[in-house]
Amino acid sequence: MLSYLVALLIIAGIYALLTISLDLQYGFTGLVNFGQVGFFAVGAYGSALVSLSGAPIALGFVVAILAAAVSALPIGLLALRLREEYLAIITLGYSEAVRLVIVNETWLTNGSQGLTGVPRPFMQLGEGRADLAYLALVLACNLAMVLLIRRLVGSPFGRLIQAVRDNETAAIALGKHPPAAKVKTLTIGAGIAGLAGALYGHYIGFVSPDQFLPLVTFYIWMAMILGGIGSLRGSLAGAAILVLILEGTRFIRDFLPGVADVQMASVRLALVGLLLIGFVLHRPQGLFGSMARR
Amino acid sequence: MLNLAVNGVIEGLLIGLAALALNLVFAVGRFPNAATGDFMTIGAYAGYGAQHIGGGILAQSAAAIAAGVATALLAHLTVFRRLSRSPMIAAMLASIGIAFFGRGVLTLFTGQDPKFFPLHGMAVLVLGPVRLQVTDAWLAATALLCVAAVLGVLHLTPIGRQMRAVADNPVLAQASGIRSRRVMLALWAMVGAITGIAGLIVAMRTTVNPELGWDLLVPAFAAAVLGGVGSPGGAVPAGIALGVLQELSTPWLGFSYKTAVSFVILAVILLLRPHGLFGVKEAVR
Repeated sequence: MLSYLVALLIIAGIYALLTISLDLQYGFTGLVNFGQVGFFAVGAYGSALVSLSGAPIALGFVVAILAAAVSALPIGLLALRLREEYLAIITLGYSEAVRLVIVNETWLTNGSQGLTGVPRPFMQLGEGRADLAYLALVLACNLAMVLLIRRLVGSPFGRLIQAVRDNETAAIALGKHPPAAKVKTLTIGAGIAGLAGALYGHYIGFVSPDQFLPLVTFYIWMAMILGGIGSLRGSLAGAAILVLILEGTRFIRDFLPGVADVQMASVRLALVGLLLIGFVLHRPQGLFGSMARR
Repeated sequence: MLNLAVNGVIEGLLIGLAALALNLVFAVGRFPNAATGDFMTIGAYAGYGAQHIGGGILAQSAAAIAAGVATALLAHLTVFRRLSRSPMIAAMLASIGIAFFGRGVLTLFTGQDPKFFPLHGMAVLVLGPVRLQVTDAWLAATALLCVAAVLGVLHLTPIGRQMRAVADNPVLAQASGIRSRRVMLALWAMVGAITGIAGLIVAMRTTVNPELGWDLLVPAFAAAVLGGVGSPGGAVPAGIALGVLQELSTPWLGFSYKTAVSFVILAVILLLRPHGLFGVKEAVR
């Protein structure tokens, strides 16, 4: 039971990183990123490949963060000139392109078979303790990133990005340069998603293209909206609720005899769709958010 | 090479149909409808269902169109109509929700395994150096007919004129007595019909599978942007251009990178011409 709880918390922590990263991009800067799973995948594969080649896991994490951030740069440069709906389309296309590369470049990624045996840190501590140590690592990453984003948002830079979100024209009129700010938040957010990817890959021990479907991006959007857009605390809560919902559907299955795994995947897809529609229609401010900001 | 190009034209027609549906919604409803692909999937499955219970090609088309229209109208009446005053991102997220919900419910009953239409014979039309399957020729003709019908409705009928008026200036349209409710219903019915038939054609050329429409979404967005967002006339030529480019790239990049090609083209166009190739600058950005 304890180990199950720890596992849940680790997964929730990984989703939490993805959610606060999206919140930095959309909630604070207004960048519509529909390709979060692409940066997540780049991080997971980057770290897995580096550590499988024999390099230390820590180096894998660094590579994951850098690779994801660098892969966001071209998108960021495009985003400078685009309205939100085009950025949404471009990022969605980006994440699909990443998945295509993973599926096709078999020499590097082993294609749809995926990479197995991604090393897990702390294993020398023994099974149970290794999990706890990993949880501590995930929580530490979350704490560090929350502090980083808090600091960013509270700084003059943070006031700039929020001004860009609320009224870009006014920000330009005041002599600010929104494009640079947008590229910065997109890359920082992508780096955080890359970190989440590394944590995920080393925890599960296995990465494959099936783990990085566009659906994951919208899990994260759902978590952000659940918690209230533009609230870091809300994002953390939203990620926790998301994991409870995803796990919950697994339990429902135990009460529904004769429902196969494949069908459960359909139920989950339909449920996520329904929740997205429901929130957009009825509580766009999120469960905990107030309408004041947007 | 020439055969690849011809195949590309046919594939491009289908991308163009999807882009046409995207552009219609974009012009009048003003958001990129990410559920477009899944409307196609639902149309494809409806057509397959009709085939399964012994319906002929007409029954299959009717079923695909009916399913597409029903899904699109339902999405409009239950969701999109209530978001007309919300920010664009709300409608876009909702359209993704609809896409997932539709696909989830669909696969709950049909399963994930691909299904096949029985081949309608392998007769081949030889026109000089070009070899064309007769089935493909028929499907392409149907797609063209569909495009012609849509453009005809848009430009030759009163409801089409009203649609274009609402697209140009919704406030002015309302002020001059256009009943926007009716216009929106007609628009979504048209979008449903286009996507339904396009889905059926895609399924007949390949397989019936749950990702059929979603996989066409990125190429369709690319074609919509290439043709100028919100301009229905540009979508089809742009789709054909993309289809040909994608198909011609296969000898070098392989079959599976087709979608990536359209993504790259999309990115390059947006970099050079943020308003699309033939797009005009809108007054409000």
